[in-house]
Amino acid sequence: MTFEFDLVYLIYIGNISLACYAFFMRFLIVILCCLNWLPVLADKPAGYPFVTFDKAMQQASVQNKPIFVYFGRYGCGYCDKTNKEAFSSQKVRELYSKNYILAYVDAESGKRLRLPSGERITEREVGTRYNAFATPVFTFMTLNGEPLHRLVGVQRIEDLLSADTEVQQKLHGTKKP
Amino acid sequence: MKPCMAVASILLLTATFLSHAQTWKFSSPLDVTATNASGVFHHLESSGRRNIVATESLVAVAWEDNRNGSPQIYLARKALSAKDFTAEIKVSGGGEAYEPSLLALDNDRFVVAWEEDGRIRARIVTANGPGPILTLGLQDASQVSLIRQQQLLLLVYSQVSKKHRRVWLQALQIQGQSLRSSQSCPVDVEPAKDDQLYPTIVSQGDRIVTAWEDRRPGYTIIMAAQSHNKSPCKFSSPQRISAALPMRTSAFGKGHGVARVALAAYGAGQTMAVWADKRDFREGYDIYAARYQPGKKLFGVNSKVQDSFGDVAQQWHPAIAGNSMGQIVVAWDDNRDGDANIMLSRFQDNKWSDDIEVAPASGQGEQTHPSIYLDEDNNLHLVWIERIKIGGPTRLRYAFARATK
Repeated sequence: MTFEFDLVYLIYIGNISLACYAFFMRFLIVILCCLNWLPVLADKPAGYPFVTFDKAMQQASVQNKPIFVYFGRYGCGYCDKTNKEAFSSQKVRELYSKNYILAYVDAESGKRLRLPSGERITEREVGTRYNAFATPVFTFMTLNGEPLHRLVGVQRIEDLLSADTEVQQKLHGTKKP
Repeated sequence: MKPCMAVASILLLTATFLSHAQTWKFSSPLDVTATNASGVFHHLESSGRRNIVATESLVAVAWEDNRNGSPQIYLARKALSAKDFTAEIKVSGGGEAYEPSLLALDNDRFVVAWEEDGRIRARIVTANGPGPILTLGLQDASQVSLIRQQQLLLLVYSQVSKKHRRVWLQALQIQGQSLRSSQSCPVDVEPAKDDQLYPTIVSQGDRIVTAWEDRRPGYTIIMAAQSHNKSPCKFSSPQRISAALPMRTSAFGKGHGVARVALAAYGAGQTMAVWADKRDFREGYDIYAARYQPGKKLFGVNSKVQDSFGDVAQQWHPAIAGNSMGQIVVAWDDNRDGDANIMLSRFQDNKWSDDIEVAPASGQGEQTHPSIYLDEDNNLHLVWIERIKIGGPTRLRYAFARATK
């Protein structure tokens, strides 16, 4: 009887402990998120056909399209914010995927690229060349890599939509419907 | 303003100008190599930015270029009294080679370490030519930096280990014109939680100090560890060098960006670290430094290297050099004048000097990627990449600066 009571009691106490532990862990995660202690590993936004800068230049030449370059970096909080608040838009996704070859450059990375000119360059040096002094920086380019327009810092959906309109006007001279 | 104050201001400005003007007298720049053709791109990219070194009679430069269609490592030398560099020699073995790090030994011998086909290689070069190439049996290794520690060469490099890149130390023995691998170990004994990148190393007295980029907090920070020369593989726990900023109120953003640390030993037991730092994220990278201090924290408070005129410009590619006379100088490229030019700052009386523009490395086009060497007489050797047109061919340029005081 005593043994049975002890066992039930231990199971009871154990369940309470597990429940408390689970609750505590959830609470801790929420608190850490609120306090911004969990890493923000910003990367290119999901659902977009981003490629490396050198591949983008090749594709742009073949498809005769301008290039949209996203300069980010590892742990870039404002990139994460822009991904969540602007690139999550279906309209932005459709427009940018259709109108541009999309390139993502980690402005601190030593990843090696080879440009159509034959020049070997790192992603960080691409950032230096296009003066990606902050992240995120978004640069619209011709297929030859000539900058057309640039956005610096956090962007909203309307910022990206109006930038697209402006770039398309520059390229085609007329307002897109 | 009162007349006496005006006179004092003018005197102060004049004294400041003269102190800078008289620091070094630069010679006319030289081409390090005559291979400057369309489609040829030179790179000075070693981890820690060590591409130039001088002895009592020679100056040597190591770089990578693609003159033969693939990236190869070259070494050029010049007698200090000669007008020009002699024809360069190819140092790498024929595979794709990158990021050479250069060191001087005695008797005008040099050691070059580099990455080739994903492995670290090293060889000694003498007046009679290069010795055999030592290939370290490590895959996916790159970003090598080296120093001499008595009879050993010590290399640090970044190598893929399971999921992440990890910093390793490799000791090499010098045997005549050959190198032989000795002990090897990770600098941080704990398994890497994220990438460890672009390490560099100095030897100072009985200590070895290494620093690198580390992504363990979810963004990039600069970290350092030290060991004793009698047991180079017993490193202290890594410590953060680049300061953490106060937590921002924004719900987004974990930490600011930093990149590419360089180290130099100077004076009696002193070491300085410099890196590109984006803590003022609206104005781009600045050059920040921290001074070694023995003890648990390893490095002291961070100080901004460039002067206030550089605050609205972006600074890139910091390099550093020091000597046993206690002199230390930092070089970087900076677009405050519109084009990218090379700037210098000296650390004196516990503060960084006003910035010094390098006349031979200023003006039309861009002058970038400096690497520097400071000799025991405070003369400065500087090498950099010059490019007139963005994306156009490059030239590898050198200038000597004689110390004038």
